[in-house]
Amino acid sequence: MRKTLPSTPGSSRPSIPDGSGASGRPGAGDDGRGWGLAVSRRTVLAAAPLLAAPAILTRNAQAAERCVVGTWGGDYARLLRENIDDPILKPEGVDVIQDVGDVNPRISKLYAQRALPRGTDDIACVDAMNGYRLNAAGLVVDLTEQQVPNLKYVRPELRMAGFVPHIFSAQVLLYNPATVKNPPRSMADFLDPQWKGKVGMLATGGPFLLQAASLLQSGTTTDFDKAKAFMLKLRANGVRLYPETDNIAPAFKSGEIDVGMIWLARKVMWENAGFPVASTFPKEGAILYVSGMVMPKNAPDKAAAYKYMNALLAPPAQQGFAEHMGYLPTVTDAPLTGKVAEQLAFPKPMPKLVPPDYAVLAKAIPDLNTWWLKNMQNGG
Amino acid sequence: MAAERREAGAALTLLGPASLMMVAMLIAPLAFLVRISLNRFDPTQLMIAAVTPENYLRFFRDPFYWNILVTTLRVSIIVTVVCLALGLPMAWRLARTTSRWKSVYMVLTVLPLFVGATTRTAGWMILFARGGMLDIISRDVLHGGGVNLMFTESAVIAGIIAINLPFTLLTLQSVFEGIDPRLEEAAASMGAAPSRAFWRIVFPLALPGVSIAGTLCFILCMNAFPTPVLLGGPRFQMMAPLLFWAFSSDNDWPFAGAIAFILIATTLVLTGVANVMIPRRYRAR
Repeated sequence: MRKTLPSTPGSSRPSIPDGSGASGRPGAGDDGRGWGLAVSRRTVLAAAPLLAAPAILTRNAQAAERCVVGTWGGDYARLLRENIDDPILKPEGVDVIQDVGDVNPRISKLYAQRALPRGTDDIACVDAMNGYRLNAAGLVVDLTEQQVPNLKYVRPELRMAGFVPHIFSAQVLLYNPATVKNPPRSMADFLDPQWKGKVGMLATGGPFLLQAASLLQSGTTTDFDKAKAFMLKLRANGVRLYPETDNIAPAFKSGEIDVGMIWLARKVMWENAGFPVASTFPKEGAILYVSGMVMPKNAPDKAAAYKYMNALLAPPAQQGFAEHMGYLPTVTDAPLTGKVAEQLAFPKPMPKLVPPDYAVLAKAIPDLNTWWLKNMQNGG
Repeated sequence: MAAERREAGAALTLLGPASLMMVAMLIAPLAFLVRISLNRFDPTQLMIAAVTPENYLRFFRDPFYWNILVTTLRVSIIVTVVCLALGLPMAWRLARTTSRWKSVYMVLTVLPLFVGATTRTAGWMILFARGGMLDIISRDVLHGGGVNLMFTESAVIAGIIAINLPFTLLTLQSVFEGIDPRLEEAAASMGAAPSRAFWRIVFPLALPGVSIAGTLCFILCMNAFPTPVLLGGPRFQMMAPLLFWAFSSDNDWPFAGAIAFILIATTLVLTGVANVMIPRRYRAR
């Protein structure tokens, strides 16, 4: 509703502009001399640029501190806003704009814009494997501790040229504690006839499941021939595939599956949501999934991107993601407390955590995806 | 002569903007996609400029991809036949009814289109899933062994029929509305039974429209995406989900582009063949 102060006849008080289309010029009931100033139209026109100057200057100042972040949507984007954009960067004067989309279009955009002097995104969220690829293709900046001081706190096993790790999780064996008395201790246990048709896995997780199978069969993450042979045995034992990660939790609840393999972070989220799930670390080792960010070489605002990268490694931001998403901090100076600390604590003795061999994986992944589609996703 | 030139000018003025729009919005991107489909994929560089048929050969040399095309054709033909079989009597009845409820029937026909295809598919998931309505009825009411139709071809066919039937029905109904009912009355007056009048008089006249309804249904099914993904599950493959897989798993634009063109070409060829099979005098003009 428009709010105007009434202009009483004889008064010189102007009406208050409210953005509803009412002009701020003197009301009809004034004394006809405007605000008591004799200002010609020409003078007003001449002064217009001066009046607009603060807005123009402010806009430039804001543009100088604008960071465009290409990210996934949903909870991840919300948590970026709540843990990084608003509490850390806004007080520093950095205006963060999220460019929400899936990872593959985001990567395609980086390739398509590689020849441009200025791209559109200052930062792109990708997983570590794609981070490796982008760095190998020469598209991203290999950041230093001078540019991003918090890089010195990154866990050594997660460090990678051109990629800033943000969150990580380990691939664990999942089971329903209500129905499984002897939990699986190794991926090999999935071949046990008692779990025929009761093992659930993610259909799109082929490359990571093949690495886990390789670790089981050979002690390395890259013996894909042995891994494929193992997965075919698992298929013969009736492994069930689910199209999306979140389809697996209801399958545990309905009793369709008793065991499976998924990221520890998902287990924490499902456990908090009341699904009957518990986990163990595979004795052969747990493959790590790392998600993070890269800075394109043609980022329009590099200074803002450095600030953003530094902020995402700050302890409060890392702790926020652990608390709400169940992912582990990638830095050594963000200790967890309370329930999340218990849920994400590693058992004793410390399980073997194995990062992928990205150099091999980046080249092998098209073949792994095709093999998975043809052999694990074919037929009913 | 001058009149002809004026007519040509008017035609150009009327057709020009739409034609330009078509070129800009459809033909140009498709031409760009053809170019991409001839490039070479590389895991690190994504795409290397080339003119190679290897993406098309990869598809045609591999029985796995062939089978996906065959599955897509099988599902599309079944869906089209079922939609026409169900739609013909319903559309004819709707067109001929003089009931005051006709407008209500029409709204009921269109009502499913008010809900998006993905949302409708989610409804089918609730019906088909383990612990879903059919499963509960089978186990608890009929004391049977339970029904789990999720992730089967039957579920995909049922889901796509539910989406395509209103389109087929509306197309057929408008065709029957355009056929003069006095023709049927004339046939009846000469002793033809209603079924004979329908098949000898109405159906041949409706054939061009039936072919359009069938073509529409077939094309929609060939390009179906959410239903095969959600109801077919990870082990059921059709062409549109395969196309998305090629793009989403590796960013393999050249192979995804080739799959897109194979899908377009197959649909166009089969639609053309179906049109040729209709006797010339009944074809849509």
